[in-house]
Amino acid sequence: MDYANSLYLTGPEVFLSVSGLILTLIAAWGGQKAARLSTILAVGALVGASIITAAFLINPAFEQGGDAFGGLYRMDAFGSVSKLLIYLAGIGCLIVTPRFFDKGLEYRPEYPLLVVFASVGMGMMVSATDLMTLYIGLELSSLSSYVLASFTRSDDRSAEAGLKYFVLGALASGILLYGMSLVYGFSGSTSYLAIRPAFEGTLGTGALFGVIFVLAGLAFKISAVPFHMWTPDVYEGAPTPVTTFFSTAPKVAAIAMTARITLDAFGNQADAWRQVIIFAALASVVVGALGAIGQSNIKRLLAYSSINNVGFILIGLATGTAAGASAMLVYLAIYVAMSLGSFVAVLMLRDKDGNQVENMADIAGLSRAKPMIALCLAAMMLSLAGIPPLYGFWGKFVVFQAAVEADMVVLAAIGIAASVIGAFYYLKIVKIMYFDEPANVVTGKNDLAHWTVLAVTAIFVSPLGYLLTIPMGALADRAAAALFAVV
Amino acid sequence: MVDLSQYLPILIFLAIALAMSAAFVFLPMGVSRLTGTHNPTANKLTEYECGFPAFEDSRSQFDVRFYLVAILFIIFDLEAAFLFPWAVSLDLTGWAGWVTMMIFLFELIIGFAYAWKTGALEWE
Amino acid sequence: MIQAIAFYMFAVLLIAAGTLTIMSRNPVHSVLWLIVSFFNAAGLMVLVGAEFIAMLLVIVYVGAVAVLFLFVVMMLNIDFAELRAGFMKNFPLGIAIALVLLAELILGIGAYGAGVLELGTPDGSAAPLLGRSNIENIGALLYSDYLFLFEAAGLILLVAMVGAIVLTHRERATAHRGHQDIGKQNRRRPEDATVNTRPEVGKGVQL
Repeated sequence: MDYANSLYLTGPEVFLSVSGLILTLIAAWGGQKAARLSTILAVGALVGASIITAAFLINPAFEQGGDAFGGLYRMDAFGSVSKLLIYLAGIGCLIVTPRFFDKGLEYRPEYPLLVVFASVGMGMMVSATDLMTLYIGLELSSLSSYVLASFTRSDDRSAEAGLKYFVLGALASGILLYGMSLVYGFSGSTSYLAIRPAFEGTLGTGALFGVIFVLAGLAFKISAVPFHMWTPDVYEGAPTPVTTFFSTAPKVAAIAMTARITLDAFGNQADAWRQVIIFAALASVVVGALGAIGQSNIKRLLAYSSINNVGFILIGLATGTAAGASAMLVYLAIYVAMSLGSFVAVLMLRDKDGNQVENMADIAGLSRAKPMIALCLAAMMLSLAGIPPLYGFWGKFVVFQAAVEADMVVLAAIGIAASVIGAFYYLKIVKIMYFDEPANVVTGKNDLAHWTVLAVTAIFVSPLGYLLTIPMGALADRAAAALFAVV
Repeated sequence: MVDLSQYLPILIFLAIALAMSAAFVFLPMGVSRLTGTHNPTANKLTEYECGFPAFEDSRSQFDVRFYLVAILFIIFDLEAAFLFPWAVSLDLTGWAGWVTMMIFLFELIIGFAYAWKTGALEWE
Repeated sequence: MIQAIAFYMFAVLLIAAGTLTIMSRNPVHSVLWLIVSFFNAAGLMVLVGAEFIAMLLVIVYVGAVAVLFLFVVMMLNIDFAELRAGFMKNFPLGIAIALVLLAELILGIGAYGAGVLELGTPDGSAAPLLGRSNIENIGALLYSDYLFLFEAAGLILLVAMVGAIVLTHRERATAHRGHQDIGKQNRRRPEDATVNTRPEVGKGVQL
């Protein structure tokens, strides 16, 4: 085995792991005083990992990607693009975190540390070409997430969210492992490279069950219907910066991982997994749209919104074509910006004592008290609804286009119908903010970090985002092609 | 297939241990029942300490710190379990295997330093 | 012959202990029965030749996990009789899940008829190496081919450690009052600690 080459290919993970170990030592010796330093260093580590990933992406020697550690891990354009998204989302989430804890809550250096280790796990997930790499990466990121969800341990809701997430996540891991053991049993290998030829022709019942169990476990992690029930509770209970993180980086990782395992390992059984993905996509789109309607808590509403968006992303995957995978990545990038922007806007809603405001009724008439936040939040909502001048429309457009090209007109039609239902509650928020009597609850001040992240994401989803369409499309096409190159 | 005959002594030992412990428990019960009088009453069967009825449940709530110690123990226990196959296969894995284990140990030593420094190992 | 007898002994005891784990009224007894079942499972593992797994079962599961279960049972102090009251209510759901798992199991057994599987990579290069104990074989794979995953597993353990400390450890305000710093004690020299003064008659010592 060529260790030097393998180490180069796993560069982002190695770099982040070493940074994580250093951060552990800083957390041990610095204690709570080192929390801010630790956050800055963690952001630096994620920036460094992004640079390594970007450098790999433009390295001509690895245009076709490369396998590390004897096929356990594959670094290619798809992995790099997903990782860049994950790291950028992680940076955005870390920047807005410290301010949240200012108000009496305990912020500790372990927080950025756990985010860094979660990023290591997520990097492994998107690059996994072996069931074992997938599982270990998944567990590394999940374990960090469970701790993050209950990070404010004095808050009962946070503790409950962490426990719920942990128990259901462990159940999902069990289902996934069961499926993986069946897949291993029927194919004789854990490597995607070997599973693919082994699953040729008609699939036996046992192997089919294995594939379905694996997909069920993965659906849990991406919170696709019917395995979405944990999402609203966890999103509501977890501290808001953690929710911001959950709705962005791990989603990208889980979806990218699902895309790779379905298109690569189960590539010869497209008919088998596509049925499952199509069902999950449709159910997510519909349940996400309908479930959000009655919500009065903004975080809960955004949780349903993320279920809804996962459905649209899965429509891209369900096509099973390179165009679909490319559309999925474009949607994913836009989704990360929209989700990050909306949660940061929610983070900025504080009452005069500096406490977080989460109730819909409290943001009534926000446009008068905080016009800029209201404007950005409105842009995010309209973009999530897919209303044309905003960039969210482009994501939905490419996904539907890919679906129509793959002769899945019905799927696209149901998706469009559901997005009309979804538009109802997005517009409701805009209406509450602009046309209702001011509640004058949101009066707290905000710092530069929040404004920066909010401004960047707002510019991205604004019509100015269309300037990025061509480079982003080219990158997504290249990434999707890399996914199909192994065929 | 592994040669199981080397486990025969353990098996015999287990069988003898099982038989003897069963005998120690049931023989006195049987003998006393056959020879003595056996008429339990409600009062005879109540639990008591030092001649008084028990004041409270013998099970009391543990401190959460026991749990932390147990978790740390599991982690280092697993680490030790990984050392065993490493030690017997070192001639097959060579330097790569040695370096691998050293990095693994280093990761956990950092964890140990963290646990120590934050005072998780201190009781009071 | 002896193997068959041993197998049936371990298997029967395992099932009996497993049943008692679920059935016993006292949760502490449940944990103790669980330990018995772990031991019997370890015996079965030895019988199929997986000695390392047997060792792990005894060391990790009996030695650490079961102890942790005991601590958790003692820590929670739940009224288990009350908890059990919900048993009948959830019974149908439990049966449904059990049936699904049973169907899976039958499928798995059905696959047994498909013949011997070739394990490892498709070309068989990672197939079990003959002539060595399986602990050596596990080591030979784990610390060479799978070293990347092994290191990542180390990170998982580290995160578990940090997570457990973050969630349960409380810094006590009094913790540092009696804290002994041995380095500081050793660094202290006589000249730092003592001072010679010659106060004049009738005057006190100025410190």
